[in-house]
Amino acid sequence: MAAQEILDGLKAAVIEGEEEDAASFAEQAIDAGLKPMDIIKGAINVAMDVVGQDFEDGNAFLPELILAGDAARAALDIIVPTISADDLDGAVQGTVVIGTIFGDAHDIGKNIVSAILAAHGIKVVDLGINVPAKKYIEAALAEDAKIIAISSLITTSLPYHREVINTLTDRGEREKFFVIVGGGPVTPEWTAQIGADGYGRDARDAAVVVQELLQGLAAGEHAPLAEPITVGVLGQG
Amino acid sequence: MKNKPDILEILGRAQTGEYCTQKEWDTKRIPLTIRSILKEHGLQKTCDLDDPVNTDMELADKFFAAGYQAALELGYLCTDTDRIIRVSQEELDNALKFAPSEITVGEGKDATVIKARTPSDPYPMMAATSLGITVSEDIYPTMAYLIAREPEVDILEAGSLTTIRGQEVLSGTPIETLMGYEHGVMHREARRKAGREGMGAIGCISAVTEFGQFGAYGTPGAFRNTDLALILFPSEMKIDYRTLHKVVHTLNMGGIMKCDSPGMIGGMPGPAEGAAVSSIACALLSYAILQNHVGGGEIYDVRYLSNVNREGLWALSIVYQALSRNTHTLCHGIANQVSGPGTENLLREIAAGVSVLAASGSSLTTGPRSAGGKLTDFVTPLECRFVAEISHAASAMELSKVNEVVKALLPKYEDSIKEPDLGVPFQKAYNMDTLEPTPEWEATYRKVKAECIELGIPLDEH
Repeated sequence: MAAQEILDGLKAAVIEGEEEDAASFAEQAIDAGLKPMDIIKGAINVAMDVVGQDFEDGNAFLPELILAGDAARAALDIIVPTISADDLDGAVQGTVVIGTIFGDAHDIGKNIVSAILAAHGIKVVDLGINVPAKKYIEAALAEDAKIIAISSLITTSLPYHREVINTLTDRGEREKFFVIVGGGPVTPEWTAQIGADGYGRDARDAAVVVQELLQGLAAGEHAPLAEPITVGVLGQG
Repeated sequence: MKNKPDILEILGRAQTGEYCTQKEWDTKRIPLTIRSILKEHGLQKTCDLDDPVNTDMELADKFFAAGYQAALELGYLCTDTDRIIRVSQEELDNALKFAPSEITVGEGKDATVIKARTPSDPYPMMAATSLGITVSEDIYPTMAYLIAREPEVDILEAGSLTTIRGQEVLSGTPIETLMGYEHGVMHREARRKAGREGMGAIGCISAVTEFGQFGAYGTPGAFRNTDLALILFPSEMKIDYRTLHKVVHTLNMGGIMKCDSPGMIGGMPGPAEGAAVSSIACALLSYAILQNHVGGGEIYDVRYLSNVNREGLWALSIVYQALSRNTHTLCHGIANQVSGPGTENLLREIAAGVSVLAASGSSLTTGPRSAGGKLTDFVTPLECRFVAEISHAASAMELSKVNEVVKALLPKYEDSIKEPDLGVPFQKAYNMDTLEPTPEWEATYRKVKAECIELGIPLDEH
């Protein structure tokens, strides 16, 4: 099969959310001698851009976004280990532990962010809903994650954001993890008030924040940041 | 069988029903079932963005049939056990048959009677205000009192609290149980101070978990069992033990409850048509599984966390027409605004959303969700009044007329839904000495109200 044919197949598999096909095309692409970063940029990123735009336009919906993210992840699991050290410098890598905070059972926003992050080649460990502070930290330690992402939709769950940061601080582990927050009632002001490291207004903003944090990490920065990175703000008259 | 399913039988199914992971439920069961049912009933691409209020009652009835089928095929997923709670057709039919068509919320002369309605029904949709937007603890008693004192407001929900006596409330802890009680006491006091001791209420909005509800509902001095217990559960068609704890607690208290969960446009059920089918199914099942007195039919668009856009308004219209024409249940609807206090567009979004609900047959609305409900203290009693005024005035309107009104309002605000003006908080929209709206906010209200009268909503000019 020609190289472009393989890339087209991988792109279609990601758009269709076919995990096994995506993994198979990723293997074929590597076997055919294609450069890993070319496969990612030429097929996976393009596919996720298509799905993301379709979602924005109302032509694709959350299940498609989630399944496309899963397929992208399946392909990346095969491609990423083959990236050379030189290329790795140019590729954002990392693991994010994500969950909806304790007291909140809403998972749609968290699912969208997970899918978008996966599409950017980031390993996402999804802890689900109603996640207690301790569970974020234990999962981040177990997965060697550098970022804890907290999602909320209801205002009354917000105090638990601070609980995550306080628990990290009290355990002497605040410097190990960037903590980012997002969701309906979360604002840049709240992010700064609790001493979190990042805020994204929507899923794409969250992906930008994660990439900036991982790039900062690679450049030697560590948590907590003096000022949080905030992308996207709510309008106010 | 002569009655609805026994609650013990339902609770057992949360442990013995078919096993299904949340991932399977979210990405396969819901989307594939809804998609298949939409196709079977020929309902794909029926959302009409040019006429956002449906006037085709045959179409509404087709959506009801689709939602009924989805209710029987899907059931609810219990996320604590990964088990599906399904009901038989006989159980569903009996639950709908025995669901109340009228309830009294509150006590004595201040009570409100909520009745089953049909589209353009002259019996008005009742209004509970506001939604549970977070309000600072020091502001809360004043805010709740000022809303209760608005004569058009039928039922008091008022805001939610995140602190008691200055201490942050961590949900699930005993502090939440205490907060539930103290919230309930403050809520009762607001109604008493407003001279409406028997006014009905919805509570407790601050109770994130069952613990807050245990403290608030049925406890002497807090919410009475003649108030509506508030039981919300996650989309799409998922419940958990928190939901069921609250249900059992309300039943134990001999109370009445409102249970609902939205169908999400852009979410698991797909487009507006899919969200409508899911929302109808979710509402129907609630009467069998949760045994509530007031059910849902809610709609959100996940792209905006709102429903006053064209797709959202269309889905609201079709859902409440379907439910009100084909059952005698008491359905509750929410219009989710995104603009904030002090802005013209908040009032226009209220006028559009609430008039669609009222004329489509919803029995009760709760609102507003000023500034999308995102910011502390960003709600005022004035827009609560406007929600109630529109709710009552638009109830008997013809759907075709409401469609005209909505088509005139939408161009004024729809481009800003994604980036709305969040306005100003209560403290800036009201004179904190006189506790009256500022002249600017009052003038804005008068302007948009006159605009609505001009468009044909029969509001009282005063």
